[in-house]
Parts: sequence; structure tokens; C-alpha cells
Amino acid sequence: MEYRVENTGGRAVVTFSGDITFSENVAFRQMLKELSEGSLTEGVFELSSVSMVDSAGLGMFLIAKEQADKAGWKLSVSGAQGHVASMLKLTKLSNLLS
Amino acid sequence: MRQPSEADIGEITSLGTIEDKLLQSKILVVDDMALMRQMIGLVLSKANFTNVVYASDGDEALETIKSEQPDIVVLDLNMPRMNGYDVCRALRASEETARLPVLVQSASEAPEERVEVFEAGATDFVSKPINQQELIARVRMHLENKLLIQDLQGFERHMRRELVLARDMQLSLLPSEDDQATFSEQYGFSMEAVYRASFELGGDLWGAWRVDDTRFGVFVLDMTGHGVGSALNTFRAHATMARIRDERADPAAFLSKLNEQLQPVMALGQFCTMFYGVIDTVTDSITYAGAGAPRPIISNGKTMRTLDSSGMPVGISDNPGYENLQDQLVPGESLFCYSDVLLEATLEDGSFLGEDGLIGLVGDAAGASKPGKLVSSVLDLFFERHPGELEDDLTAVGIFRKPKTKGAGA
Repeated sequence: MEYRVENTGGRAVVTFSGDITFSENVAFRQMLKELSEGSLTEGVFELSSVSMVDSAGLGMFLIAKEQADKAGWKLSVSGAQGHVASMLKLTKLSNLLS
Repeated sequence: MRQPSEADIGEITSLGTIEDKLLQSKILVVDDMALMRQMIGLVLSKANFTNVVYASDGDEALETIKSEQPDIVVLDLNMPRMNGYDVCRALRASEETARLPVLVQSASEAPEERVEVFEAGATDFVSKPINQQELIARVRMHLENKLLIQDLQGFERHMRRELVLARDMQLSLLPSEDDQATFSEQYGFSMEAVYRASFELGGDLWGAWRVDDTRFGVFVLDMTGHGVGSALNTFRAHATMARIRDERADPAAFLSKLNEQLQPVMALGQFCTMFYGVIDTVTDSITYAGAGAPRPIISNGKTMRTLDSSGMPVGISDNPGYENLQDQLVPGESLFCYSDVLLEATLEDGSFLGEDGLIGLVGDAAGASKPGKLVSSVLDLFFERHPGELEDDLTAVGIFRKPKTKGAGA
């Protein structure tokens, strides 16, 4: 997994690429820490270059969602396709993260 | 089942006790000159080493090592009968003493002699005449190493035993082969199940139980992550499910109840995906509810369809909104439930199967396998494309409804 954060005026777009799986736990938390340091109103996880997300990856999205709710910014995901889109749909997390 | 003993626990010593153990270590001093033995003994006792034994030549050294089992040897090279080189070689040749630290006293600065001494199996040198501080420093260093290695080995053995014990406990949560056979007999199907944890402990669980004389329930469950943390959550889920009795005929109500109990106690980011279905052998139907588990596949050997197992995983939301759905499971059909590793594992060619790939694989397997052998055929095909260990836990459960024989009724 790799990611790039672009924060323009409190709207952060995090563009991910590669797989988001159990082994990316540490990198993902690092990313969340970065996000918590910018004062956000909105965060978007851009997933069009992500080929795979496993259940631990979805768990990390939930942690991000909790962080967003607590800090008062809105989190959404965009661009999911293929396996990632079906995982979000299968687990109905697309409802939480839209 | 075996409980860990005091001895197991005692193998693990804290760093604080290393100094005590160090000073109680048994040191064998080997020298043919009585004066040298005395002097080395004095240096060691001044440094608070209390457990020193002596030998005056190589032969006696080997005998003493056998009877006294010292922790370290300070060895002279030039001695009558058997010299220091031969003592080293003899020690290294024996399994019991192959790793015993041996400090060789050497007066020579010649590199050739040092090479020869190391080749014979010495652990280290101390210069001769003896330099007190150097002798103590080297003895301490090698004893510390030895104790730390022993501690680590003890810890590893202890952990390994604990994990084996825990794995046995986890396997005992799954239906035994006898249970499966009894069950299959009663409801007229054959059951096939494979469970394989990627670590000693896994985050998957499956089970089956009686609902009434003509209906039975089957579930598969996958905790986020794998390893010890996930395994502990499977115990939690198993214990909770055992208490949910009234909702077993109603999958959506069952999942809601389980979620109600687990959601408050699961840590943030932890959840389980799940599928629970109740198979009715009179109406040939399956009523089921999903909590985001991979979609089960029903195959009759020729055609295939998936069950919609979408739903909020258990443990996330206080209002997951599970719903019951219904499909047919007629005699001659197999239900195939599995954990996500079959979809997500990286194959030899770098790709992963995904659902379409797996359905293709199940189709190939169903066409080629005997009825009731779908799971093993699918896994055979899968492992042709994924040789070696999986990075996540694997569960695959197959339920094949046997064709009804004449006069057998429901």
C-alpha cells in the first residue's frame, strides 16, 4: 500500500494504491496520525488504484471513520472498483462511508 | 488437557535474576599448575563467583565436566596426558557439550596458534599471564550470553507449548468428525470441512447445530486479522453463540442477537464477517442471513449460483439491520461456504482469484469431483495455483444434500 495526502483548505484527499491489508496496519495508522494533525473539515479516501482490500483493511476504514466522527470531519471513500467495490458492498460499509 | 506446570513458568527468568544466576554459575578451572589454579580461583572468588571446581589435566577435565556439568570452562593449553586442543575437540564432538563455553588461556600472541585454538572449538581467549579484569570480563560475558540464550530458549519452549495447548482448545470449538457424521446421518447429507490456521491460532470459526428434527443450522465466521488476537475473539464469539438458543431457527434474529452481545465489547476496528443458514430438509430450502461473509456458492455439478450474504459485519454497528433471505437447497445440490482467503490470496502468477475466479474453480471442481467431495476438489485446484503457506486462515465447509432414495421419505 502507498498513499499520498493532499490537503487543500481543510479538505484532504488521500490517494491510495496497491493492496490495503492486515500487514499495512502500521502505515495506515501513520496516515491517520498525519490526518489528525491537519485541521480537516472533510477527508476523502480515493481508492481507484487499490486492487484489493481485506477485512483488516476495512477495519482500518472503520477506525478512520471513528476518528473523523470524533474530530468532527466527514469521511468518504471514492473510486472503489472491482474487489474493493464488492467488499464495500458486501459488508455494507459503503453505507457508512459515503 | 495439560496445564502449564510451575516448571514451565519457572523457565522464564527476569533480567533481574540474571546476576544471581551468573554468580552461582559453576566454573571449571583446568590447569596442571596448582599455583595457577589457586590464582584463577582467587580472582574468581574476589569477583563473587562462589561455585568453582578444578581439574589438573585434560583427562580429569573431561571427567569433571561429565560429573559436575559446569557452565563454563577456563582451560590451559599445555598439559600432560591430554592437552587443551584435544579437550576442546572432545567437547565439541559430544552433543551435550557442543555449546559449552570454553575460554582458553594462551600466552602466545601468534595468530597461527589462535586460529588453531578456534578451529579446535574454543569459544574465546584469555591472555596468560592472567589479567584479572580481563578474565572476569570474559567469564561474565560468556556466562551472560549463555544464560540469556537459555532464557530465550526456555521462553520459546514455553510459548510453543502454550500455543499448542491453545490450538488444541481452538480446534475443540469446531464440530468433530464424529459430530459431523452423526449430523450427516440424521439429516441425509454429507459434510466436508477444512480448517487451517495461518499461524498456530486462527481467526476463523465454523459450526453446525440441530434446530429441530428436520432443520439444522450452519455458520462460518471470520474475525478481522489473524493470530492470537483474532483467536481470542473467536472464543468470545463461540461462547456468546452457545448462549443464543431461542433464535437459532431465525438467522437474521440470531445475527442481531450476536451483534447485540459482541458489538459493545469488540475493540474499534475489530469485527467478524459471518454467514448463517438454516437448512430445511422437508421444504428443501435454506433460510439465511449474511454479515459480509464471502458469498456461499450452491452447485448441482453443472450450474452454480451465489447466496447474497451482504450485511454489516458483526461488532460494528448497534443497528446492523440483518434480513433473512431464502433459496433452495435440493437433494443433489452442494452448499459451499468459505473464508475470504480463497478470494484474496496472492496466486503464483501475482493475481488473486476474486469471486468470479473462485466460481470458475468451483465449476471445474464440481464437474470433475464425486458428489460430496467438492471442498477437497476445490482446494486441490486452488493449491495448484497457490503452492505453499497461506497468509490468512482458511475455512471451507461443504454440505452436499444426498439424492433421496426411494422410500426414504424426507
